[in-house]
Amino acid sequence: MIYPLRRAWGELRNEVFVLPSRTLVLLWGLALLALPLAYADAYVLRILTMTCIFAIFAASWDLLAGYTGQVNFGHALFFGAGAYTSALLSLRLGVTPWATVWAGAAVAALFGFGVGYLCLRLRGSYLSLATLAFPLIALGLLFAFPGFSGGELGISGLRRLVVSPTANYYVAAVSMLAIVFGLWLLADSRFGIVLHAIRDDEVAARASGINTLRYKLAVFAIAAAAAGFAGALFAHYLRVAGPSSLEVALSFQVVIWGIFGGLATIYGPVAAVFILYPLTEWLGSFRAVGELRLLIFAVIVLLVLLFMPRGLTPWVRDRIETQCPRCKQRNGSWKKICRLCGAALSEMKLNYRPR
Amino acid sequence: MLRSIVAVAAVALLAGGAHAQTLKIGILGPMAFVQGEHHWAGAEMARDEINKAGGINVGGKRMQIELIRGDTNEIQSVSDATNTIERVITRDKADFLVGGFRSEAVLAMQEVAMDYKKLFLGVGAAHSKLGANVEADYDRYKYWFRVSPTKDVDLARTLFAVLGSIGQQIRTELRTDMPKVAILAEKAVWTEALVGAAQKTLPGLKMEVVGTWQPSATATDVTAELSAIDRAGAQIVFTMLSGPVGISVGRQMGERGMKAVAWGINVEGQKEEFWQAAAGKAQFVSTLDTYSEVEMTPKTIPFVKAYKARYNKMPTYTASTYDAIMILKAAIEQAGTTDADKLVPVLEKMEHVGAGSTLTWDKRHDPVWAVGKTAGIAVQWQDGRKVPFWPPNVKGMQPFKMPAR
Amino acid sequence: MLQDILVTGLVNGGVYALLAVGFSLIFGVARIVNIAHTAFYMLAAYLFYTLLVKVGLGFLLSALVAVGAVTLLSVLCYRLVIEPVREHDAAVLIATIALALIFQEVMLFTFGGHYLGIPSTLEGGVRLLGVSIPYQRLLILVVAAAMLSVVWFVLYRTRLGLAIRATANDLEVANLMGMNVHRVAMATVALSVALAAIAGVVVAPVFVVDPFMWLAPLVTMLAIVVLGGLGSLKGSLIGALIIGYVEAITVFALPAGAYLKGAVALLIMVVVLLARPEGLFGVAFEEER
Repeated sequence: MIYPLRRAWGELRNEVFVLPSRTLVLLWGLALLALPLAYADAYVLRILTMTCIFAIFAASWDLLAGYTGQVNFGHALFFGAGAYTSALLSLRLGVTPWATVWAGAAVAALFGFGVGYLCLRLRGSYLSLATLAFPLIALGLLFAFPGFSGGELGISGLRRLVVSPTANYYVAAVSMLAIVFGLWLLADSRFGIVLHAIRDDEVAARASGINTLRYKLAVFAIAAAAAGFAGALFAHYLRVAGPSSLEVALSFQVVIWGIFGGLATIYGPVAAVFILYPLTEWLGSFRAVGELRLLIFAVIVLLVLLFMPRGLTPWVRDRIETQCPRCKQRNGSWKKICRLCGAALSEMKLNYRPR
Repeated sequence: MLRSIVAVAAVALLAGGAHAQTLKIGILGPMAFVQGEHHWAGAEMARDEINKAGGINVGGKRMQIELIRGDTNEIQSVSDATNTIERVITRDKADFLVGGFRSEAVLAMQEVAMDYKKLFLGVGAAHSKLGANVEADYDRYKYWFRVSPTKDVDLARTLFAVLGSIGQQIRTELRTDMPKVAILAEKAVWTEALVGAAQKTLPGLKMEVVGTWQPSATATDVTAELSAIDRAGAQIVFTMLSGPVGISVGRQMGERGMKAVAWGINVEGQKEEFWQAAAGKAQFVSTLDTYSEVEMTPKTIPFVKAYKARYNKMPTYTASTYDAIMILKAAIEQAGTTDADKLVPVLEKMEHVGAGSTLTWDKRHDPVWAVGKTAGIAVQWQDGRKVPFWPPNVKGMQPFKMPAR
Repeated sequence: MLQDILVTGLVNGGVYALLAVGFSLIFGVARIVNIAHTAFYMLAAYLFYTLLVKVGLGFLLSALVAVGAVTLLSVLCYRLVIEPVREHDAAVLIATIALALIFQEVMLFTFGGHYLGIPSTLEGGVRLLGVSIPYQRLLILVVAAAMLSVVWFVLYRTRLGLAIRATANDLEVANLMGMNVHRVAMATVALSVALAAIAGVVVAPVFVVDPFMWLAPLVTMLAIVVLGGLGSLKGSLIGALIIGYVEAITVFALPAGAYLKGAVALLIMVVVLLARPEGLFGVAFEEER
């Protein structure tokens, strides 16, 4: 009984509290879970629920685009696939939404596998622009079979997973924390290193014996599954699954969130969503500014980009942490020597700008 | 000490009382776009008229109307719309909700409104599912009433009625037995049933369907479709268009000098800006509409004149927020309360003579269709003005014109 | 019906070619995927509308001012926004998306969400092979052909063109050879956006003008450029014609499926990419190590 607690405390002390960024994340996670106890305003809960759902979506995109370098301009396809699948199964066949969200994720994974397969030989901008096409083709198909898909209206009258706003908030927040943490663990593991290798130099990776095809397909499927899960949650929260879940604007939005937050971080896009989405909503509630909020959003994005071209979170991290020149591990920036290898950090900090 | 307590209590009572003196109505619509502008304008007209006359009599107490502006941005984002309606209900404490436009968004907003058991009067979305929900689950959806437009299925009845009269005009003027009709409907769920109905009904009306073309609602180029329609020799182009494709159709038909005349639903064609958007080429384009300076009801002409004087443009169908608020006033004054559950049965039995229509509701809380009451009017663009021509027996109607051959 | 397809496909293909060639140029030289390309096209259309209808300048003057102003704006945007983040591909991408959104919102704010119609430069039409074509469309074809010839001339017969081609071929070596790579990039941006602006001025009278008019052509243009091969002008031209014809065939052969013409065009693009990952005439870039 005591031992696991002491293990947990040890882990926390050695892995989390040593780094300011991780401590912040822990605090943020706790705050997120504790929020409804302090402040149960339905409107605020709604905004945060949507934020959590989009955060899953953005994190899944980062796995694909940031880590593997396959910048997907049509990520909304997986979001929509999850939404529609879950909607159709729960409405037409009467299956409970708790099961259909997983089915939505599974079908989205299939779509991810398909898109990944079709894009295997494509590189760079070709891949990006080709992926743009898929949600649009899917939209055409949806409109071609309106009896099945509900055409421009989509599928409405869905059941929610849980009824009250607070319960929905917890479903979204817990899912988000679980999925984002899972994705982060995945990216931080050996799997993630292989992905980095594929992005930086696929030929060299192949020459080292890595079956890059398998990894690329796997990443597409995993990212798509996460996005599909988010889409299914979205559909059941709004109780409508419509063509708006496949629009180009949504795909562009996730690209903006991803790059604004910082590519290849997982937590970066999540931070971006948590900052930008409530901000634009809040701006929208003022009459004078409301009509300009997309403009303000774009200007903010542009300005941040000019000063922090790698994204927001890498910039913030660089301010609060330094990388040890010898063992490459991160330390709090106030530290003088590295916590792991003991190398001196201070005078290096003046000249060394980690990439 | 006692005096200060009394003073504070008095202020609190007054403040609370003053607060409770207004009835808050949330106006929901895409405020950056034409539809939302008219939502708001119609509501303002109603609010000012009612407040000037002393407000609404709620069981003996007079309350003023306060409008809450809810910019749903529904054209661009359905989730923005649901966020807005939640804010209007929980933050701004709206008592009643009026408006909506994009059917997909209104379906989602309806769910939120029904969750909070707020009366939601729809002004703008035609999809029949909104009413079907009422029938399927009355206890949940009974707070929804559609004021305008009539549901999509009923639109067909008006369309065919007018088509019949245009067809008759073609038979006499062109001396042909079977006028040729080309169906030009945007690809959308709302047109599916209409297209099917048209294909079945037209032969019965002694008209020949020469083909069905379905461009996308946002198509900007319909030359291919129009070329084919020309080749087929159609005399009437039966339009079912709600998107900007309606403008392209009007303009390109004029540019090609087509002899066929366009009639049907052309939502863009209902707007004042249509003539300019079609670069002055959309002569003879005709469409179903709601407001014109004709005496549909005794209130129509005064309303249209006052609207035009205040906002410098003619109202479109989303300005029926005016009628919606008047209906609310009548129901509240009759029931003597603002409690939604008590208002529902009052509304269900009501017959309201509004500015756009004479309204009664069926068991789906959809307007009951009747020519001269809720069917709307038909207008045609002639030399830059919308000229009403149907129903012919109403005062103010003008004749329908066709291109010279 | 065959004549309809022949003529419609050609005219629409010409329109797309104008847009696609500009985009391809900027990608080939500066490696910039300029999502805001069609947004400049929209700006030119709005400016042309304002000058023509609100201010009352003549067609030629309005067109010249509109094209000039938008080209200047693009160079300004490039200096202020794109150049600082040139090294980060990802940042350039969303910088151009953000720019496009800004233009859209500014137009939405200034002109509202209404649809506007620009009067045609030329009224009336002609019957060609039994198909009625308005003169405005012929004008578009003529302008497209003229512009493409001018681009060809600049690229293959002038020193600037030589510099542009050299930079497109190998940026580092061109830099080493003494060419001012930044100036060349700016000139390319100006040329490419000028093409988009000209398209805006001649094409906008045929379509409706609204703040969202940049999205649909963007997708079609991307499909064309990818299909033809990024960086290849010949590819863009041929791609434009292919897509123009595919759309025309879809509409004529399947009247009830006319709304699918966009999806079909994209499907063709995907199919071509599967067979040839760099597009029809694309240049495969060596990964910079």
